[in-house]
Amino acid sequence: MRRDSIQRRLIASVLLSQAILTAGLMVIGVVVTYWRLLSTLDVSMQAHATSVAVLVRYTEDASGHVYFDNSLLPESIDPNHPDQFMVWADRTGYLTRSEDWPEGLQFEPGPSQHWNFTWAGVPYHAVRMNHVPILDREEGKAFQPQTLTIVYASPTVRIQQQVKAALASIVLASLLLLGATTWLASWRIRRGLLPLQILARQASLVSTQSWKLQPPREAEDIEELRPLTESMTQMLARLEYSFKQQREFVGNAAHELKTPVAVLKSTLQSLSQRPRSSEEYLAGVQASLQDLDRLEQLLQRMLRLARAEQWAQNAQGRQLDVIDLNSTCEEAVERIRSLAQSRSTSIHLATDGRVPILADPEDLQLVWTNLLENAVRYSPEGSSVEVAVARSGDKARISFQDHGAGISPSDLPRIFDRFYRGDPSRTRATGGFGLGLAIVKALVEAYGGTIAAESAPGKGTRMTVELPVSQP
Amino acid sequence: MRVLVVEDEIRLAENVARSLRESAGYAVDVAADGQEGLFLAESNAYDVMLLDLMLPKLDGMALLARIRQSGQHTPVLVLTARDDKESVIALLNAGADDYLTKPFDLGELLARTKALIRRGKGQPSPVVTIGDLELNTVNRTVQRGGRAITLTAMEYRVLEYLVHRPRAVVSKTELLEHLYDYNWEKFSNVIEVYISGLRRKLNEGSSRQLIRTLRGQGYMLQD
Repeated sequence: MRRDSIQRRLIASVLLSQAILTAGLMVIGVVVTYWRLLSTLDVSMQAHATSVAVLVRYTEDASGHVYFDNSLLPESIDPNHPDQFMVWADRTGYLTRSEDWPEGLQFEPGPSQHWNFTWAGVPYHAVRMNHVPILDREEGKAFQPQTLTIVYASPTVRIQQQVKAALASIVLASLLLLGATTWLASWRIRRGLLPLQILARQASLVSTQSWKLQPPREAEDIEELRPLTESMTQMLARLEYSFKQQREFVGNAAHELKTPVAVLKSTLQSLSQRPRSSEEYLAGVQASLQDLDRLEQLLQRMLRLARAEQWAQNAQGRQLDVIDLNSTCEEAVERIRSLAQSRSTSIHLATDGRVPILADPEDLQLVWTNLLENAVRYSPEGSSVEVAVARSGDKARISFQDHGAGISPSDLPRIFDRFYRGDPSRTRATGGFGLGLAIVKALVEAYGGTIAAESAPGKGTRMTVELPVSQP
Repeated sequence: MRVLVVEDEIRLAENVARSLRESAGYAVDVAADGQEGLFLAESNAYDVMLLDLMLPKLDGMALLARIRQSGQHTPVLVLTARDDKESVIALLNAGADDYLTKPFDLGELLARTKALIRRGKGQPSPVVTIGDLELNTVNRTVQRGGRAITLTAMEYRVLEYLVHRPRAVVSKTELLEHLYDYNWEKFSNVIEVYISGLRRKLNEGSSRQLIRTLRGQGYMLQD
């Protein structure tokens, strides 16, 4: 796997932009230097061309012819590389050219211009000037004065050397600066990223023993890190909560499992402590079987709860059909009928038209039977339990009203907690584990619903489930 | 010796009580909830208490705190399903003397109960000797001068109690309190029957009287 690094990326970006900047500066530097040198050269060449023009003289007669006096040739601009020139007069025509004129090089008179050319491996800059006046003008001569066309070419070897030297120094300086700024940038970046490392170190101190993340001041002061530290703190709080809940559940589950095991073990041990009569053995075996049954029921309930909670987490993964809510309620009432009859409690079911729900009918029946069973068990004999199914908008509301002793206000917020029993002796006598309502809640929430309990001590309890109605 | 078992799991409480009665010969009272447990603990003298923590009405820790507040010295063995460090520390700090985690072994429960009774009586050795009398609380055997003495269950219980209160005056009421559980009718004259039986068996082949009667006050075991 390729490991990426913010630090490396940042340094690379800085480096890249600096490289572009440097390259740009180099180009600009070279162009500007070259251009300035060339324009200086131009000025010199014009001056030299004028010096050449000075050497053009009229002949002594009045013919108006001109000749070139090459006794006073100006020195070349670059002493190591001789300049070349060629002169024409407008009437006389070709007049002269420099002494060491390269063989084969030819210029033509033409319009004024500047150009570059290379001859025999030597680069030249050339200028052609028209209408250069002849300065040797003697008073009183009656002829039309001639003008000159001068081509003056100077080798640009020195300019190229100067440009190269300039380029070399720019490159050297740029590389030095690039190195220094890269080092500075990486140092700054490393320092700038230090809060991340401190934060990581703080985060590594978080454990199941200590959930507190103490975001370092350095990290809190940094705008970009604040969302990270905030979400980390929030995430840790959520994790801590669910971890604590989980641990509580495991603790409770262990307690609930250990008790029936302790009963079973003590029964069998006390049976084996001394020889017993066959009646005693039989009683012991029967008691043990009952305890085993209870243990089995508890395990089933715990598994049911675990499954319901798992579904709640990925409810989308299940293939569900649209079912009628009323029929699941009717089924649940049928299932509880015999228990209700044994306690002479009547159950009234009031429905209001078909309510389509997207759910597994078994799950809903489990929810209704659990709620109904509670309602019937905590109702005084001869009382009634009312179940009402109503639809309001996109919600179905199912309520279970009993007329029992009610739930004390201190117990009410905790009745949906796993293993919570308001009065352990009473529920244990009726075979409860404190898991029924937890399973109900998990299932209801798995279908995107809610459950609420209201209770008036002495008057009864009303459990209200709200489920989303399936939209056709 | 008399034991109070406070445990809401009726079957477990019964098994523990049966084991204590059969194997140790203790008088056992059972309370199924915290309130009943507190009532029994406050109204009777127990030599040890076995206490469950998750109790209806009044939970075990609260019960423990109440009896320790009232200054009772009765050793308390807590029966708990939780064995995490925090809850063990909490229960010992609340005044418990020992704890056993469920599911426990009845043999271990008996041994710990006996050990707690010994410690509660300031008698660390399981074999108690007073003069030439030797009582082994583990095997429940009695010897005097190397001679084994066979006692009835009730005689042994009386002697065991007296041996743990040597050179102290023990009234008939105290004996009744510690030898019978709550459900028994208590008649002080049965004590006299057991004491005379004990004297007869202990004095066989010995002239020195171990159990003195202090008229109107009670009995005293001396060497």
